Amino acid sequence: MAKELMMTGCRAAAEGAKAAEVEVICSYPIRPYTAIMMELAKMVANGELNAEFIHGEGEHAQVSVVLGACASGARAYTGSSGVGVTYAMEVYSPMAGGRYPAQMSIADRTLDPPGDFGSEHTDAMSTRDQGWLLGWACSPQEVYDNTLINYRVGEDHRVMLPQMVCQDGYFISHIPDKVILGDQSQVKEFLPPYRPISPLSTTEPVSHGPQIRPDQGAPMDAARAQTFLAVPKVIEEATADFNRIFGRNYDPFVEQYKLEDADIAFFIQGAHSNTCRTSVDRLRKQGVKAGMARLRWVRPWPTHQLANALGHVKAVGVVETSTSYGGAMRGGNLVHELRASLYDLEQRPLVTSFMAGLGGETIWPADFDYMAKVLTEMVKEKKTRNYVYWIGM
Amino acid sequence: MAKELPGYGTINVPKDRAVPFGAVTPAPVCTQDLFQTSNWRIVRPVKDDEKCTRCLICYMSCPDACWIYQEEQDLMEWVAGFCKGCQICINECPTGALTAVAELDFPDGVIRLDKPF
Repeated sequence: MAKELMMTGCRAAAEGAKAAEVEVICSYPIRPYTAIMMELAKMVANGELNAEFIHGEGEHAQVSVVLGACASGARAYTGSSGVGVTYAMEVYSPMAGGRYPAQMSIADRTLDPPGDFGSEHTDAMSTRDQGWLLGWACSPQEVYDNTLINYRVGEDHRVMLPQMVCQDGYFISHIPDKVILGDQSQVKEFLPPYRPISPLSTTEPVSHGPQIRPDQGAPMDAARAQTFLAVPKVIEEATADFNRIFGRNYDPFVEQYKLEDADIAFFIQGAHSNTCRTSVDRLRKQGVKAGMARLRWVRPWPTHQLANALGHVKAVGVVETSTSYGGAMRGGNLVHELRASLYDLEQRPLVTSFMAGLGGETIWPADFDYMAKVLTEMVKEKKTRNYVYWIGM
Repeated sequence: MAKELPGYGTINVPKDRAVPFGAVTPAPVCTQDLFQTSNWRIVRPVKDDEKCTRCLICYMSCPDACWIYQEEQDLMEWVAGFCKGCQICINECPTGALTAVAELDFPDGVIRLDKPF
């Protein structure tokens, strides 16, 4: 029987990895994600999980180890936070180019300097152009679910790409919430065993990771881009199966909350969407027709789904939680992609962005009230006054 | 609802340019034509079989395994597709059997190829 327990996002990630019966785990400590590895280490030590648990020398080594494990045909699992995510940067592209569908679980942490333990999405967001699947959960339950969904999508032979399963540090990783763990029979029905393509083998030897000529670079890039055209369909299938088997109700790409008749909408991902959802309810009681679109996948970016979900709204405020210093809107990165997604609509919403939840700061209900005020004024004035507003600054 | 939005187009890698999935190649092989790495060579080692004593020092010193001993003919064979022209073998050869010759001097020199890059 499926059981409901109180647990943190870190424990939920570990439970997800355990349910997926990962075979190789590579750890290196950095908080807040460390708790995932602590949970997994206990599971391995207690004999609940039969996996090779390797201590990496650093994050670069961690991702390299899972690359090798994946190449040999094992389901591999690692993770990191903050500067750990960026320390492994070199290995992300080979991982995607070599088509190794390992999983990395991220509990966000602000990048240095100065050292800050707080959550901010910039760490994993900086990897978004490396060919990995990437997306944020908004609850420990979704962390568990995304762990399984990502393995299923990433290991699909139409995909074969590594996945970054992200959760906000502390807000999700360290605050317990109710999580329903699936039965192993449900997991088995949903997630088939990993079937590697051309793994390293002593009987049928192959070489992985060769040097290629410059004229072979473009076809390899094109092959990866081609794969990303196919990923959305695989995500839709996997989400539908997951919803059916586990009794959930996920939209594959975008959670749409009270958007149907919304005049203004927040566009957001991750933990702060929980405060956003209650703020939408509160604003609605005050007569403000607010709604929320919560992004579940940054890569692949759901361009058309967002245009459909937000096309009718009058003004959209992008709540960033990550930085893109000097970028087109001088704020975060989500706004660039959202504006681009809406550009071809005949009637497109006004779009601005809010820099909030940086360095681990909480986004308070009052902050959403302020954002709603800005968006309402935009609707009234029929123009976007500023591309970006730094909340509280 | 919204007007029809642009699509992503299609990507079709021409067959003659396709690269194996994940760039995985059969192994072990001395030569294969899937991934060759000789296209930045500007000189190549040319051997003098009279001076060569088959001591295999070139075989031992080549970082890319580009010297193979052909037992039947009792000859050293050079692997053109992977030699980068680093000249370590020329430097190490105790009998002076190897000399560096410019790629320009060869009809199949890498800079004369239809598609050197």
